[in-house]
Amino acid sequence: MIEFILNGKKVSTKVPDDTPLLWVIRDEFHLKGTKFGCGISMCGACTVHIDGDPVRACKYPVKLVNKKQITTIEGLNNEHPLQEAWIKEQVPQCGYCQSGQIMQAATLLASNKDPSEKEIVAHMSNNLCRCMAYSRIKKAIKTAANSTSETVSIFDPALNGQKEI
Amino acid sequence: MNNLNGIKDKIQLSRRNFLVGSVGASLLMAFSVLPGKSMAENAKKALAGKIFSPNVWFEINERGEVLINIAKAEIGQHIGTALARIVADELGADWSKVRIVHVDTDPKWGYMVTGGSWSVFHSFTPLSQAGAAGRIALLEAGAVLLGKNGNECEVINGYVKCGEKSISFGDIVSKGQFNRIFTVEELAALPIKSGKNRQFIGKDTMALDIPSKTNGTAKYGIDVEVDGMVYARPIVPPSRYGNSITKVNDKKAVNIPGYLGYEILNDPSETLQGWVCVLATSYYSAIKAGDAIVVSYKKSPATKVSEEQIQIEGEKLTRDKNAGNLFVDDGNVEQATLEAKINLEASYRTASLLHFPLEPVNATVEFIDDVCHIHTGNQWQSLTMPLIAKALNVTQEKIVMHQYYLGGGFGRRLFGDYIIPAVLTAKAYGKPIKMVFTREDDSRFSPPRSPSVQLFNASVDAKNNVTGIEHAFAAGWPTLSMAPQFMFESLDKKGKIDPFSSNGADHWYTLDNHRVRAINNKLAQDTFLPGWLRSVGPGWLCWGVESFMDEIAIATNKDPIDFRLSLLDGRGKNAGTAPVSNHGALRLANVLKKVRSQSNWGGELGENEGMGVAITYGQERTMPTWIACVAHVHVNKSNGKVTVKKLSLTVDCGTVIHPDGALAQVEGGVLWGLSLALHEGNEIKKGQISKTNLDTYTPLRMGDVPELDIQFIESDEISVGLGEPGVVTVAPAIANAIAQATGVRLRSLPMRPDDIIQFLKERESNKIG
Ligand code: FES
Ligand code: FES
Repeated sequence: MIEFILNGKKVSTKVPDDTPLLWVIRDEFHLKGTKFGCGISMCGACTVHIDGDPVRACKYPVKLVNKKQITTIEGLNNEHPLQEAWIKEQVPQCGYCQSGQIMQAATLLASNKDPSEKEIVAHMSNNLCRCMAYSRIKKAIKTAANSTSETVSIFDPALNGQKEI
Repeated sequence: MNNLNGIKDKIQLSRRNFLVGSVGASLLMAFSVLPGKSMAENAKKALAGKIFSPNVWFEINERGEVLINIAKAEIGQHIGTALARIVADELGADWSKVRIVHVDTDPKWGYMVTGGSWSVFHSFTPLSQAGAAGRIALLEAGAVLLGKNGNECEVINGYVKCGEKSISFGDIVSKGQFNRIFTVEELAALPIKSGKNRQFIGKDTMALDIPSKTNGTAKYGIDVEVDGMVYARPIVPPSRYGNSITKVNDKKAVNIPGYLGYEILNDPSETLQGWVCVLATSYYSAIKAGDAIVVSYKKSPATKVSEEQIQIEGEKLTRDKNAGNLFVDDGNVEQATLEAKINLEASYRTASLLHFPLEPVNATVEFIDDVCHIHTGNQWQSLTMPLIAKALNVTQEKIVMHQYYLGGGFGRRLFGDYIIPAVLTAKAYGKPIKMVFTREDDSRFSPPRSPSVQLFNASVDAKNNVTGIEHAFAAGWPTLSMAPQFMFESLDKKGKIDPFSSNGADHWYTLDNHRVRAINNKLAQDTFLPGWLRSVGPGWLCWGVESFMDEIAIATNKDPIDFRLSLLDGRGKNAGTAPVSNHGALRLANVLKKVRSQSNWGGELGENEGMGVAITYGQERTMPTWIACVAHVHVNKSNGKVTVKKLSLTVDCGTVIHPDGALAQVEGGVLWGLSLALHEGNEIKKGQISKTNLDTYTPLRMGDVPELDIQFIESDEISVGLGEPGVVTVAPAIANAIAQATGVRLRSLPMRPDDIIQFLKERESNKIG
């Protein structure tokens, strides 16, 4: 049995331990915001945070998350400045890549309050948007960075919820 | 593909009565299900029984909320928002109370249901009329309730106002009773707002589907779960047609935990030939089992065909004057050739391409009381439903499709062939199943854009003027295989032509002598299923037309923009027809002049930099979107890398309904065009595309995005589609810019650094030699 913390809640799974985390999140815990695009770590649609780092869940065997903290798009709880910026800049087209884009961008802002254009591109260039909404993704990241220039707080329910568990 | 669906929509909505009636506690409004005079007698009854066209209907509840129901696919174009704005504007609604509901199909509607990207172009008038009819009905009822005369009242922001007094939509709905039918004639006579009186159209708003796409709650086909379902994965045969299974060996799969077995699919519709589906209790097990099972086939001859063979066949066909059917035949091309001082010739190619929508195709299927329920994202149900009915051997009344968000379409989800393995597996296995294609499965089954060849010959007279162009092109035709009813008779009556693979060749340049031959490449057609890919024919035809125009300009020593302008005189057939193509080629000339100053054409450029231009009229002459594009590029002569520094576009799409949404559409389209021009290309090997995932197929990433300057012409003309036309000018504009920067003329898409290097080397050795 593998135990971990998913969006602040302690959970466990009994699936074969080579199962990619993506399918556990989506099909066992029914959190469908994390998407399947390529299955080979090349598109970023499945990006989640493991202990605050961006990880491609489609290639990440669930056995490696034992005792770790996982945050998915649902775990941002609609409170992350990036989500607001995404609406303000009207970023999504089909929207399928956007959970992954937001999760990837969130780890940039967590460590870099005011990223330059270059830093944004370097951090985001492994996330494919097939609708090619790239200009707006870039713009929204800047908007979010500016809106929180004081403190960039990355909302992580795992950090809040952990004590109670 | 808004044009294809446009035809459908037009058929559905024009010549229909409009019903307004109280149903339960709500006021319901919809187009009648039957065209013309054979209308429902009683609006209330027809509405309560759902006997109305499901394309769009709306209801107002006691709280005054306006719910606009749309039975159509949301692929990222925010089309629901645009359509709702049209209705709401005429209705006089309070926008904060407008909601969109994406509805399922209902068996009662049978195959009346049309999916598909609803083109604003074909819906603008009926939707405005529907909104206006609703406004009149509310106004009259409101006036009665206020004890006033209708002509003393007006409708503003969800209220009927008569002088000092006013009453809200909600109150009117709860107190009034409606039962009214507007005939086609009455609808047509309703006053529609003019440009400056519009409240929502032309103004920015937040698209209604966006918030759910920022928090993971937007539900796509792949997110569906139904009780008791098992997971399935297809094993895609080595090519599209003619493979038969000789043996299935699952010895290596039986020990995979969760493996439930496999089904060999027999498909009476013959969409699937040689298919096996794997079943498991989890999708990961289904993936592993699919990899472990060994299927042996009696392989189709198509599995020996390569892209190069198809292109050689295309070259041959374009040079055979008897091949193909006449699409354009103005003047006398032979005469012009004979009298010419110079003849110019060029041949252009495009390679196979994939749509690659980020959500792999999928469908979840369950049978309830003999009715097959399909959960999926599909753009064109009326095309797909008959196919499914055939595969299941049932009538269409026994099928219901439940619509979800589409994780990208680009034309891939028009044809619902990917639903067939899911319904057949569910039927054979006797349980609900969720079938998901892995990315590789999806790529191998996807109908790619056909490779193409086009040959041009131009004649230039002694005065250095172009007198005629002959143009022949060969490719696989999507419409021939998937919707042959849309083919049309050629000018020489030799056969039928795929309009969507020919549009783009009948351009708006005035040429006294112009002949175009459309040729179906049978080798392509037999090898794979050609797909409709975003911007379809114009997507590759414009590449040839606009590159060749540049070659003529260079050969005759003219500025590429001046040269084009000289042919865009709006004479004869290029004068356009009101209302759709009002002013014709002159609007194309107009955007071209605008983009000239917008891009600082002719200004100073850095070393190894160039500017190139291209224009398009969008998807078809009867629905033109006028666009001009200038690309500013840098070419690295040592490694052949092309860097696009800036793309400037001027767009005339008539009335802009939703400016920010329109901009997003064009931005996406332009970057698609850039991606197709430099980053994609998926050659066929052994009868199937060769690059199945992102390790080898490399669409544009954020780092390759150039500066974009996209400007719209302010206009009151009729509104036309924007989903596709942004794509088409980018590749030829880049090729023309490369030619200006280096003298290298690339005639093959995608444009590869190696081609540039090769060309430069040859030029160097020629100089030395
Ligand atoms: S699905 Fe994981 S990176 Fe593409
Ligand atoms: S919005 Fe469609 S893939 Fe990014």
